[in-house]
Amino acid sequence: MASQLFRLAVRNTTQLPKIFSGKQLLQNCIRTSTTAVHGTSEKCDIPEIKPTSPEQRVTVRKYDAELRERLTDFGRYVAECLPRYVQRVQLTCGDELEILIAPEGILPVIMFLKCHHNAQYTNITDIAGMDVPSRMYRFEIIYNLLSVRYNSRIRVKTYTDELTPVDSICEIFKGANWYEREAWDMYGIFFSNHPDLRRILTDYGFEGHPQRRDFPLSGYVEVRFDDERKRVVAEPVELSQEFRKFDLSNPWEQFPNFRDAPPAAEEIPIPEPKK
Amino acid sequence: MTSKLAKPVVRQVKPLLSLDKEEARKRALNLYKAWYRQIPYIVRDSYLPKSVEQCRAKLREEFEKHRNLTDIRVIDMLVIKGQMELKSCANKWSQSCHIMNFFKESYEQKPKDFLSKFMDGRP
Amino acid sequence: MASLIGLRKLNGFLRPQTLRQCVSLSTGNAVFGKEPVMKDKKYALLSPEDMEHLDKIKSTITTTDPMDVSLISGVPEEHVKERRVRIFASSKNAMQSGTDNVGIWSMEFETRERWENPLMGWSSSGDPLSNMKLEFISTEAAIDFCEKNGWSWYVEKEKPINARGKSYAVNFAWNKRSRVSTK
Repeated sequence: MASQLFRLAVRNTTQLPKIFSGKQLLQNCIRTSTTAVHGTSEKCDIPEIKPTSPEQRVTVRKYDAELRERLTDFGRYVAECLPRYVQRVQLTCGDELEILIAPEGILPVIMFLKCHHNAQYTNITDIAGMDVPSRMYRFEIIYNLLSVRYNSRIRVKTYTDELTPVDSICEIFKGANWYEREAWDMYGIFFSNHPDLRRILTDYGFEGHPQRRDFPLSGYVEVRFDDERKRVVAEPVELSQEFRKFDLSNPWEQFPNFRDAPPAAEEIPIPEPKK
Repeated sequence: MTSKLAKPVVRQVKPLLSLDKEEARKRALNLYKAWYRQIPYIVRDSYLPKSVEQCRAKLREEFEKHRNLTDIRVIDMLVIKGQMELKSCANKWSQSCHIMNFFKESYEQKPKDFLSKFMDGRP
Repeated sequence: MASLIGLRKLNGFLRPQTLRQCVSLSTGNAVFGKEPVMKDKKYALLSPEDMEHLDKIKSTITTTDPMDVSLISGVPEEHVKERRVRIFASSKNAMQSGTDNVGIWSMEFETRERWENPLMGWSSSGDPLSNMKLEFISTEAAIDFCEKNGWSWYVEKEKPINARGKSYAVNFAWNKRSRVSTK
């Protein structure tokens, strides 16, 4: 009975689009429950399972080659659909898809990823910020999206600086409201057309953006209760014991064995748009 | 040693709110007026130990500090931040201690001459 | 279901003239003749000038002002005007350590007065920026960053390390005085 049900499930899943093929689902099933498949393997004509990654070392993480291929295909597809905005597509940590876009294209790209039939990234998991003072556009904004339909995650990255506004995606994702407020509060990234952009984590009257790299760990002011004034007052910070500055960088090479390891981000080549 | 950003170079940038200087000036004046009108209510509602005149003088001082600004986007950003502060004061999210921090009364002057430094226990 | 009911009613009273009308009827927002233009409620009450402004704000403006964010970065005025930044490349440890992570450009603020805590003897400081260290890929990036934030800066020249070949065996070379005959 169980095997019949299983076969039924398999037959249904073959109708899914290519991006999540039935064969792949089948293999996943086999990996999780080998016992259920054992009796029916001849009838279902399941190919023999081979290790999909050439990596044989136990301590090194293995990647699902088929998943990587699917993500690569999808990344290329997005780049072909939105050639004006997508600047780079890459896989990080082996199997995480990242799309690097120009800041003008935030709305169209997010809209595409949410509404396109083959994407359906309908959940906004998080919006993160990153500060790299070396760059001309020092802030990076990172949108993490989740597609429940295809059980897939994607990361969209763009960039800005202190004075350049970025389009708010609150119109597309209502849940982005607080995330964008957080990015404004922590980094000072201004989102235009945000319905209610104001501080979310810092105290009223706080000056500065604490997640910037040039914001000191102690902050610039300290507060205490003043008995004469009967209220909390702020003063310039004074440390009775100064923070010690440690140089934690190692003068020796850390992992010589991994000198020729794959890079953290592998770029997916984007085909040139046809003219 | 050259610096790309700090030189006055003609470049195209994305505007924040205003398209030209006149508009930025208008926005700043509007913000000033809004604060000016709100101050009596702020003083009354949060029981500030300051008179309305003192608060208005402080308001003027804060705006005068940035009188000579020319960068439209910086003006806009200051207006945006001022607007947010005004909103939190008018909605009584800011308590009296937050508002009193604008006056910086608790910022002690650092000792300058030898004797007061000595009394303060510093070199 | 609603559209079905609508059509059934229509059959009773009046029949749609064209297919287009029929379709618009089935979606529920239809009238005969001229269809009203749907307006977003956000923009419906805006004046033409405001609409024009909305259009223009999406494009770019021309500016000649140097980028200066010292007023909006939240750094107190005294730390902008009175501080001086030293830009330097971190040097090799004087011991026999390796040279990885050496030569990265970083910036540091000049030191301010410290004092001894009268009670515990700790070294106290009133300088929040004393333990801040930023790393940059090049001198230019560091200079740009300082200029943008309104700090005055100076660059400390990188001193090249002239590595000397050292070998224990050299001490016993024939042309060295250190080799002493035992005879």
